[in-house]
Amino acid sequence: MNDEQTLQQAEKLLAPFNKETLHPETHRLDVVVTSEDLHAAVTALHDAKWGYLCAITGLDNGPEANNLEALYHFAQDSVVTTLRVRAPRSPAASVPTIADIIPPAVFFERELHEMLGFDVKGLSDSSRLFLPDDFPPEVYPMRADFKQDQPVPVIEVGSETFPNEPTKIGNTFIVPIGPQHPALKEPGHFEFTVDGEVVTGVRMRLGYAHRGIEKAAESRNWIQNLYLFERVCGICSHIHATAYCMGVENLAHVEVPARAQAIRELVSGLERIHSHLLWLGVAAHEAGFDTLFMYSWRDRETVMNILENLTGNRVHYSANVLGGVKFDVDLEHARTIKEGLDYLEGRVRHYLEVVTTDAMLLQRTRGIGTITRAEAERYGLLGPTARASGVIRDIRVEAPYGAYHRFPISAIVETAGDLEARLVVRLKEMLVSCFTLRTIVDNLPAGELTARMPRKVPAGETISRVEAPRGELFYFIKSNGTENPARVHIRTPSLCNWTSVLEKAVGHQLADIPMMIAGMDPCFSCNDRLVTVVRPNESRTWTWRELREYGIEHYRDLKNISEA
Amino acid sequence: MNIISSLFTLLIFPAGLTILLVGLFYEWMDRKLVARFQNRVGPRWFQPLADAVKLFSKEQIEPPVMTALLFFGLPITAIAGALAAGLYVPMLGLAPSYSFPGDLVVTLYLLSLMTLSIGLAGWNMTSRFSLVGATRTLTQLCAYEAPFLLALLGPALAAGSWQISEVNAYASQHWMILTQPVGFVVALIGLMGKLELPPFDAPEAETEIVAGALTEYSGRGLAFFNLGKSVELIIGLTLVSSFYLGGLTSLPLFLIKTIALLGLMALLQSLLARLRIDQTVGLWWRYGALLGLVQIGFMIAWR
Repeated sequence: MNDEQTLQQAEKLLAPFNKETLHPETHRLDVVVTSEDLHAAVTALHDAKWGYLCAITGLDNGPEANNLEALYHFAQDSVVTTLRVRAPRSPAASVPTIADIIPPAVFFERELHEMLGFDVKGLSDSSRLFLPDDFPPEVYPMRADFKQDQPVPVIEVGSETFPNEPTKIGNTFIVPIGPQHPALKEPGHFEFTVDGEVVTGVRMRLGYAHRGIEKAAESRNWIQNLYLFERVCGICSHIHATAYCMGVENLAHVEVPARAQAIRELVSGLERIHSHLLWLGVAAHEAGFDTLFMYSWRDRETVMNILENLTGNRVHYSANVLGGVKFDVDLEHARTIKEGLDYLEGRVRHYLEVVTTDAMLLQRTRGIGTITRAEAERYGLLGPTARASGVIRDIRVEAPYGAYHRFPISAIVETAGDLEARLVVRLKEMLVSCFTLRTIVDNLPAGELTARMPRKVPAGETISRVEAPRGELFYFIKSNGTENPARVHIRTPSLCNWTSVLEKAVGHQLADIPMMIAGMDPCFSCNDRLVTVVRPNESRTWTWRELREYGIEHYRDLKNISEA
Repeated sequence: MNIISSLFTLLIFPAGLTILLVGLFYEWMDRKLVARFQNRVGPRWFQPLADAVKLFSKEQIEPPVMTALLFFGLPITAIAGALAAGLYVPMLGLAPSYSFPGDLVVTLYLLSLMTLSIGLAGWNMTSRFSLVGATRTLTQLCAYEAPFLLALLGPALAAGSWQISEVNAYASQHWMILTQPVGFVVALIGLMGKLELPPFDAPEAETEIVAGALTEYSGRGLAFFNLGKSVELIIGLTLVSSFYLGGLTSLPLFLIKTIALLGLMALLQSLLARLRIDQTVGLWWRYGALLGLVQIGFMIAWR
């Protein structure tokens, strides 16, 4: 079925509820429905097995327009259908919950509720997910009239509002994991109810790294935001920047040169290898297999060195600019990349053998946390977690973007759905990346590196979907024709994959939980959209020694101040 | 004079301080070997001692506990038990300081006192990590104790004595690793279980329960437990190598044999992933105990 037919099918399914239809882009359908019809419309799409729910975006059109919009994005292959529900700002805009049809929607709806103040009717759990506990109620940070530097009156934190968390219910204990815990490299909070060693219940709380990056984007211009979004995630910074750039270029109708697109794919492939090797180490550590952890992190240095050699940076490669990339790949780079890839390919093949044959490790991975194909689809899983359960969910294959038309990749799919399959999928993906990257390096199209970008971006809305190492990354960008974006909404893959832990933990041993959490490769920073913007007034080059001395001085000063 | 020489034996040489220092040295070797196997640099030679000194100089934080007496008493029991066990083994290839028929059983119980103390220490806490860790420590104790005992009984049966010095003397004539290979394997793995080394480190699995039973311990209390573990390491190595690796009759032999055994253990530690506690128990009772029994049955039939 081609895009045209897919679109027509969606249009036909939604015809009974359709109040207004738009085709903002060739592969998109935008349908306005009333909030009464929403549930029925979602049911129609779901029953016809048309696509999956990508994200729910909340929009505030400002006090003058006096309406809020909730955008329900469904995607099938490269086609995106958006159900648009309009509601007045006051009294509280209300939409019905769709979590009874699509369970993972509960996270999106909780976000919609706490960020924009939508009253989601029938939401099973409306407790805070991202915002801190002392954030005042009925203040919604993503509303247009909420200013970024607006002082927020913090509510009193007393023992009445926050009773000590219970430690025991009957004969079962509650084991808290996080926000500070050796199993978690980033802050998140889980409460596992355990009966002996068996988990009987689980609760989750996120947002410890939330810095309001989406809001911050609204007060920065298009170019500044590139650097902001690069810092959403410390591991997959390139893919965030790529998603943002693609969206903005789309809005501005700028065609990125082929060479720049190929270099973008090259960096994202290297980033994937780096991310998967990092994950392999973490997963091995959670399983108590520290030797594998140490070795995989040692080998990760190879790809980090390649990236540093290519871009000058080890973590935030900063490869993208709006309209292209910053640097070229010359013959010397190509040689280093290929040498590194040869070494890495050998290592990855070795690890693949280890994880599929090591009897002790298999005891901890084979048949643990199994997610069937039907469950994976129901939970709306993404990326390698979904592909380990036999669901082909890979944007690079379903909806190729950028250079993936010229340098396609093959999706790796395993059917077992257990932790072993998740290990195997990621390792095989590294092999695929090694192969594709060599092809790219050998066949880089000639041409310019950048295209000219206008300073102001024409008004409009766009969606860009890319495949991050953890799964589909979704950006919704709205421009109102000025130098700043009107709204940027990010849905990271980790948010969709939480269900794989929350639904599957019950019945497993406590010892398997860290592995299962690691199994989906959670990225709390992406999830919470962390940002730290440090803006030095002057730029200068520091040596390690100077940097170290500065650090010592800085903390000495801090200490003096606190003592005085 | 007699009292002074006894005190010297107990506190300085060959028990007491000597065992502590040798234990710390072996702990360093273990850490260094594992680090090298894992492609890391590893600690410097005085690191375990420095750790101990640092812990002793730090504040001991007193968390809410069930019984304060147990909180302060258990670390001392643990290290006292481990040090007392050192009196009955051929430490540094010397004859044991004290010896009487049946001291093998006493030594094994003294060694278990340490594990029991850790278990009780965790139990005494209100912290949930400590409680889960304590449960796991004691579960594991029940799992490896019987097979480990059986594995050490094999050589004792062959020597016809339950006295460590006599078994050691008999072993110096017979390499029992050759005649009782199964027993040796069970003893080696049992020792790793006793020391809670990977893959039997579920009781202190940091990614699940932080530091297990000892999560709430700090300062002096933690230092005592850590020293106790080092002492247990060296005593366990001494016992197993004296029983199975042709006896320990001189200092060079002691060093060669115990270090070889330590090297083997370090290799196993780096090669294996952590077992879940149910898998540990299953492994011991399904295979360990069975193999130990077969070995003992074989010994009885042979005699």
